[in-house]
Amino acid sequence: MNEHSRVLERDELEIAETLRSPDVDLRLPAVLPREPYPIEPLTPDARQQTRAVGQRATRSDARLHGLGQTKYIDDLSFPGMLYARIKRAGIASARIKRIDTSAAEAMPGVMAVLTGKEIPTNSFGPTFQDQPVLADPIVRHAGDGVAAVAAVTEQIANEALAKIVVEYEPLPAVLDPVAAMREDSPKVHAPNSNIYATKVVRKGDIEKGFAESDRIFEARFSTQMIEHVSLEPHAAIADWDANGRLTIWATIGRITLARADMARTLKLPMSRIRIIGTIVGGNFGGKNEISQEPALALLSKKTGRPVKGVFTRGEEFTATTTRHPIIMDYKTGVSNKGRILARQIRLVLDGGAYCSWSATTLGKACILSPGPYKIDNVLAEAFVVYTNKTMTGAMRGFGAPQVCFAYESQMDDIAKALGIDPLEIRLLNAFDEGSSSPTGQVLHSVVVKESLRKAADRFGWEPRS
Amino acid sequence: MIVNGQVRGASVPPETTLLQLLRDNFNLTGAKLGCDVGDCGACTVIVDGQAVNSCLMLAGQAEGRQILTIEGLASRERLHPIQTAFENSGALQCGFCGPGVLLSAKALLDENLNPSTQEIRDALSGNLCRCTGYTKMIEAVQDAARLLREESRTQLTHARTEATAP
Repeated sequence: MNEHSRVLERDELEIAETLRSPDVDLRLPAVLPREPYPIEPLTPDARQQTRAVGQRATRSDARLHGLGQTKYIDDLSFPGMLYARIKRAGIASARIKRIDTSAAEAMPGVMAVLTGKEIPTNSFGPTFQDQPVLADPIVRHAGDGVAAVAAVTEQIANEALAKIVVEYEPLPAVLDPVAAMREDSPKVHAPNSNIYATKVVRKGDIEKGFAESDRIFEARFSTQMIEHVSLEPHAAIADWDANGRLTIWATIGRITLARADMARTLKLPMSRIRIIGTIVGGNFGGKNEISQEPALALLSKKTGRPVKGVFTRGEEFTATTTRHPIIMDYKTGVSNKGRILARQIRLVLDGGAYCSWSATTLGKACILSPGPYKIDNVLAEAFVVYTNKTMTGAMRGFGAPQVCFAYESQMDDIAKALGIDPLEIRLLNAFDEGSSSPTGQVLHSVVVKESLRKAADRFGWEPRS
Repeated sequence: MIVNGQVRGASVPPETTLLQLLRDNFNLTGAKLGCDVGDCGACTVIVDGQAVNSCLMLAGQAEGRQILTIEGLASRERLHPIQTAFENSGALQCGFCGPGVLLSAKALLDENLNPSTQEIRDALSGNLCRCTGYTKMIEAVQDAARLLREESRTQLTHARTEATAP
């Protein structure tokens, strides 16, 4: 045997498996060596526009959409396919004392019933794995699934849900994010604190900035929970075949992440899972993680038949992620001329019952909260907290639209109080080429002032003001 | 009933909706299930010339009537001008609301070949879209109306030439 190689012992195998990465040595000889990235960047220089801008482009898939030939998941069906429905808790915070599925299982046409106990690893999540596929034993929001049914028709599955008896012991719920931050509030994920991620951005000396300011403005802004309402509901089909291989047709936007998550929840090697990302009828961030897929997979395993699950519109609102409501406290110090000298921000994000993409949203909201303005003294603190509500997650902008609403509203308030034109106060404070952001990033190709002027010119700001 | 010009029939339970009949029995999956309560319009089909939410109509109610679904809009030879216009205007992004919007537009243009913007808005008011927005759709319907007007004019000219030919 070659002295450089040896056969691994059994207990070393697992470690070796985790260390294996896309190694050049592992590639087949037929695969060409990896080309280095092109040295010449394909992006145009700053302030240069590509020729594509201003051109009208048509989508390559638009014709099939228009012909009604595009196949979304709900348009697919397989021989012997069953329909799955999930029973929702309907209670914000509780402990499940007992689930009786016998009446449902006895129904003709019901092929399998699944509860949280049967799931190999009953948790998932893109950041923290804090969300159960089916609640067991703690229900943390009303949209939590408690049991899943696979039946020959959707109607039988619905009737079976009504026959599943769940006994709950209600637990105290916390619904207000600010109250949830208090030490004595009920813990959503006991014994852990309800604050599950924080971020602080500090620049300059905030006290000095306020001391130098002529006027200080304080205001609280808040936004509400928003659902993506993509026209196509969350849908998936799972087929666990007799060889132990699992195929999932899913509307998920991040199929590789979903594959890793599925491998974890099902304790199945990733090589046995194939996820087919079909055409998606609208995502907007709402379909970025798995939801019902592990339950469908296990129902398929139990029945040996493909299982389709499509959320109802109601479930879309209660059991899928939403946009974070944020309570935003802004304190801004300005000179009499309207120059912002200091800005202190405190954001409280209502994270709902599970983390999902909250940590990502928190970061982006916090970094962008001072706005596109040159401010020397900034302190932004952001917290995301658990509450017994529908979980919040990714949605277009990842927290940026909420803070934009707050800082731009306050800019208008300041302009009004100081008697300055709202456009002028923005031009006075906005980033320039080479300005540094609150996190210290030096910004290039900054055209915010030009854009503002051009926009004001186009829609006729002067005559209106 | 007559679906897309063909006589079709099926025996289904009385609670079956027209949408379920079309999708599950006739495999016409162009009409989509979006909300199941008649809010979103993704299930729009044309019944006797009128755009209806097929999730709110029972299959039995459609007996003996003329149904047009998105699959019946184009012929084998060519796209319907509404389809061409929607494709060219970029009015279909994810496309889930598309079949319903196109059929609402078709029902409008069958009645009125020169609709005002407000009339188009009214006709599409029962169809929700979350990706594209409605500006491009309205443009597309106007384009389609123009195409259809030109077509009917050429047809008229043809008819006249044929009539006057010796």
